[in-house]
Amino acid sequence: MAIDGLIILDNTGRPIIQSGFRSTSAAYPMLHVDAFNNALPKSHRSGDIDPVIYVPPYNVADSPSACCHVECADMRILCPVSGDVDPLFAFAFLQTFIDILREYFGALSAATLKDNFDVVYQLLEETLDAGGHPLTTSPNALRDIVLPPSLLSKLLSVAGANLNSTINSGSGGGPFSSPIPWRKAGLRYNSNEIYFDMVEDLTAIVNKHGTTLSCSVWGKIETNAKLSGTPDCLLTFTNPHVITDCAFHPCIRLQRWKRDSSMSFVPPDGHFTLAEYRYTPTATATSARFISTGPPSAALAAKENIPIPFLLKPTVELTDSGGTFEFKLTSRMPSQTMEALVAEMYLGEGAGGVKCVASRGDGGGNLGRRAHDTMSTGGSATGSWTFDAKKMAVRWELPVVPPSSVWLLRGSFTSPSSGPRPAHALQVRFTVPSYTFSSLKIDQLKVTGETYKPYKGVRGKTSGNVEWRW
Amino acid sequence: MSVRAPRKGENYELSVDLNSGYADKRKDAIKRVIASMTVGKDVSGLFPDVLKNMQTDDLEQKKLVYLYLMNYAKTQPELVILAVNTFVKDADDPNPLVRALAIRTMGVLRAEKIIDYLCDPLQKCLRDENPYVRKTAALCVAKLYDLKPELVIENGFLSQLRDMIADSNPMVVANTVAALTDIHIAASAQPSSSTSDPGIFVISASILNKLLIALNECSEWGRVAILNALARYVAQDEKESEHICERVVPQFQHANGGVVLAAMKVIMIHIRGVRREELAKQLVRKMAPPLVTLLSSPPEVQWVALRNINLLLQKRPEILSSEMRVFFCKYNDPLYVKIEKVDIMVRLAGENNVDALLSELKEYASEVDVDFVRKSVKAIGQTAVKIDAAADRCVNVLLELIGTRVSYVVQEAVVVMKDIFRKYPSTYEGVIPTLCSNLDELDEPEAKASLIWIIGEYANKIDNADDLLNIFVESFVEESYAVQLQTLTAVVKLFLKKPDSSQAIVQLVLDKATKDCDSPDVRDRAYIYWRLLSTDPGAAKAVVLSYRPPISIPRTTVAPALLEELLGEVSNLSSVYHKPAETFVGVGRVGVDSVQQKGTHASASFTEDDRFSAKKALQTVAAGQQAENLLDFGDDEATDGQPTGLAATDILAQTPAAANLMSGTSSNPLDDLVSIFGSASMAAPTTAPVDPMAAFGGGFGGAALSPTAVSPPPTQRQQVQAQTQQPQEDLLGLF
Repeated sequence: MAIDGLIILDNTGRPIIQSGFRSTSAAYPMLHVDAFNNALPKSHRSGDIDPVIYVPPYNVADSPSACCHVECADMRILCPVSGDVDPLFAFAFLQTFIDILREYFGALSAATLKDNFDVVYQLLEETLDAGGHPLTTSPNALRDIVLPPSLLSKLLSVAGANLNSTINSGSGGGPFSSPIPWRKAGLRYNSNEIYFDMVEDLTAIVNKHGTTLSCSVWGKIETNAKLSGTPDCLLTFTNPHVITDCAFHPCIRLQRWKRDSSMSFVPPDGHFTLAEYRYTPTATATSARFISTGPPSAALAAKENIPIPFLLKPTVELTDSGGTFEFKLTSRMPSQTMEALVAEMYLGEGAGGVKCVASRGDGGGNLGRRAHDTMSTGGSATGSWTFDAKKMAVRWELPVVPPSSVWLLRGSFTSPSSGPRPAHALQVRFTVPSYTFSSLKIDQLKVTGETYKPYKGVRGKTSGNVEWRW
Repeated sequence: MSVRAPRKGENYELSVDLNSGYADKRKDAIKRVIASMTVGKDVSGLFPDVLKNMQTDDLEQKKLVYLYLMNYAKTQPELVILAVNTFVKDADDPNPLVRALAIRTMGVLRAEKIIDYLCDPLQKCLRDENPYVRKTAALCVAKLYDLKPELVIENGFLSQLRDMIADSNPMVVANTVAALTDIHIAASAQPSSSTSDPGIFVISASILNKLLIALNECSEWGRVAILNALARYVAQDEKESEHICERVVPQFQHANGGVVLAAMKVIMIHIRGVRREELAKQLVRKMAPPLVTLLSSPPEVQWVALRNINLLLQKRPEILSSEMRVFFCKYNDPLYVKIEKVDIMVRLAGENNVDALLSELKEYASEVDVDFVRKSVKAIGQTAVKIDAAADRCVNVLLELIGTRVSYVVQEAVVVMKDIFRKYPSTYEGVIPTLCSNLDELDEPEAKASLIWIIGEYANKIDNADDLLNIFVESFVEESYAVQLQTLTAVVKLFLKKPDSSQAIVQLVLDKATKDCDSPDVRDRAYIYWRLLSTDPGAAKAVVLSYRPPISIPRTTVAPALLEELLGEVSNLSSVYHKPAETFVGVGRVGVDSVQQKGTHASASFTEDDRFSAKKALQTVAAGQQAENLLDFGDDEATDGQPTGLAATDILAQTPAAANLMSGTSSNPLDDLVSIFGSASMAAPTTAPVDPMAAFGGGFGGAALSPTAVSPPPTQRQQVQAQTQQPQEDLLGLF
């Protein structure tokens, strides 16, 4: 029933690691690998395979199954499921498993997993029961039973020391003796610290007149807790009304949030996501309060009130054999610097002969330029461009975009005889360090239940993904 | 002893290292053995050597050895018995991890000989002081049941599991629930036991309370298991339903999408028992935010969420009424996400947001991807049919799109325009010249047929209608049947409207259709027209130009009864496929009966004839399929012998499983076929041309054979529409 196992494929579609599949026939995992590999070339674009593939049974007597799959670095992880189960259950498990792998190995690649196959196998065994039930997936508890591969443990094992003594001894509480499933008992730190990262992600669509069509900001509070004992934290915000649609880590007491919008919790150890939310601009809150009887479109308009942090003026002219384009980008950030801005446009099948000139406009950026002249070298002073022949897309990169600076990209491309059919939109990605759209502010963090005073840190970070149509 | 490998090569070296005097050398060798195992090399010959390393204090090494054992236990059953002693000893180890590991591994080995030794340690572990061991043991019972159910019953493990629902540790409760559910499903899959036994895992009111308490405290996976159990519970009264809903609603705020959808399923089921209107409304309102939250997830999760949203909206269209903008497609979204989003946008369309919707759809129609462009053009047509006030604007957008002269856009737009003509007769005649000027662009049968229908319908207002139709009459024999049928009808319409000028053309087309055409449908229709025209032109007028009921966008894409069932399965595969679970999983295949059952339930208002013709059509299709496969027709007759009408409803109103048995769990192509059609509409006549009546209706309903459907696959939905719109009673009267 449910999740039958996991298969990790490398980028050639060959399985590198798979779980046991002990309750099914030996051909079962291969059926799924084949089903996936057959579906792959049929898709228009590489990401376009249906996420749940129907796998017909091998024998008439068997029941058919489905194959859920996700991409992960240069690998694909398949998750065969049988019976009428929830595909989201499979996807949630896949996501959790990938998170666990990241926690253990850092950046993932087929090579890393191959090098550490023994650890991956142990993780598979601990996280997924042969009956299809996920078991231990909390990194806190896992670290007790599967040792992460660290340089230290390698060194020690060479030196012959027995690092395993901790997990081998049944005494001293041991694993799983903690009454709180996400936190292990008896933690000790010399310096007690807790850090909160408010990570927000803007997704927006802007039409050719520069009007925002749809825009939403999703935020996460990523936390890194290194606290001794069993601390009980109470996190309060000065402006909790800016966030809605929250989804919480199970450690948060929902009743308390409902009562006064403060987060009360006993944190897990290490990295975890405390909460996810959607930012709603204050205008919505006020307009909703005042014109609650008004037409829904008014509230709707107010909801789109999040300003896009830049202005783009795309001019594209198409001819029978190609086209020319000119993009003018102006930062609208008041004082922050946008970083790693990448704008991409698909030029259509068979496009080529791309020639561009990237330059920096003179608008308002003197102050910013002076500040950055010292550190920026030739390339980044004007931005750079490349043509990705595989994706048929021209990419424009601006590593540092100071406030109200202006940037230009002019270029042309050629197309095959059928005429140019480029995408009518640019995809723009960027990040802004130390900034959040919601400006959600933590009022204070109170830690009770322990005597120490922890060191606390809060940081903001924003990334954006804007589709700008022309 | 197995045959030893030769004294050289990789396996030999491994075997030497496995027997080494140094612990770390042995451990390293085990790792290498596992590595060989993973890449598919046969290292089963090393079994005895690996086994020697099983007794160790190093937990990691023990795990690796166990891993090896699990892999080769099937192929080396006699050797596994050597490990039994260690397993039993480990199950008594002071370290709880070792105890749990031993029990877990023994349950997975699936070797008969080991199983016999499993019961005693399992008994002990179910009562272990450590919760980790207890929860592992609980799951192990389910695995034992899978292999040898009698052992589980003899040892009283079942009652022990039932007691463990009251365990103090929430994780143990969750795993116990999961194990009991597994056993329950396994037991009810065997028909023999399910009749005598009331069920392995019956949820009583006291168990319900324990589950509700454990729900808030266990891990995400445990919550899913508990929620699935709650979905099975039948509430005693309204108060209990309310109580369950109130306790489950907070789960909407869980970060794990699986938990959110499982909670949604529970709510959708138990909300049926909630009578208090305001509470129901409040619950429905709380459903929207978590669904929208799922849209910020990776595309795979988004897709599952969108499919479920699509289903939920059919039942409760109000839940996301102000959120249409969230569903706007981005250029980089995968196609499967975009298609679902467009569907949902049309569902959410209303007079207040139709402008935004139309400008979006127009944008999509200029994209590169052909499938998506067609979908968007269709969506414009659906919007026009759905919202009267916006029809003008929709038509203008369509005209703009036709102006682009991109072949597939124009064709799709013509098809869509025909629906708009059906919905708003005599409103947009000014558009006809534009459509006709694109005649040369059309090469797809559906687009051609649509344009011909329009010409025939407005023959008296188009001056050169006979010239235009003449083009198609000339190439009559080369056209596809759909185009032939439409040409035939259109010419007859032309004749009835302008009898003076079109005598020749109607004669020509009837002549061609009856003599040169190899499709019986076209011939039959031509004969009927001929007879009608020659005996009583008045009757011909009444038939061919009769009043047609207006078309509308179906609020649901699946039959209402099926929708109810699917909503009970929200978050499961069946809700993603929009098909009942029996059609793609389960012991037997779905027969005509179980499919029909849902159909007949759904269509209480259908006339006897509808039902009969539906059945007839299904059988004709099935018979054709069977003939191709040279199978016998026995099953066909069997289904024919089933009582029709009300009697059938009574008999078929049993469980699908029973129906399955009735139709025989045969591996018969008929079943497959029907289940494919079954997903769209249980009772729709699947092939209009085969059925003479439906074919005749096609003259009118042909217009309805159009993609006003809301979701893929289009062909199936079209027939739903055709079905519901055919003025069949009128027709029958004329016959």
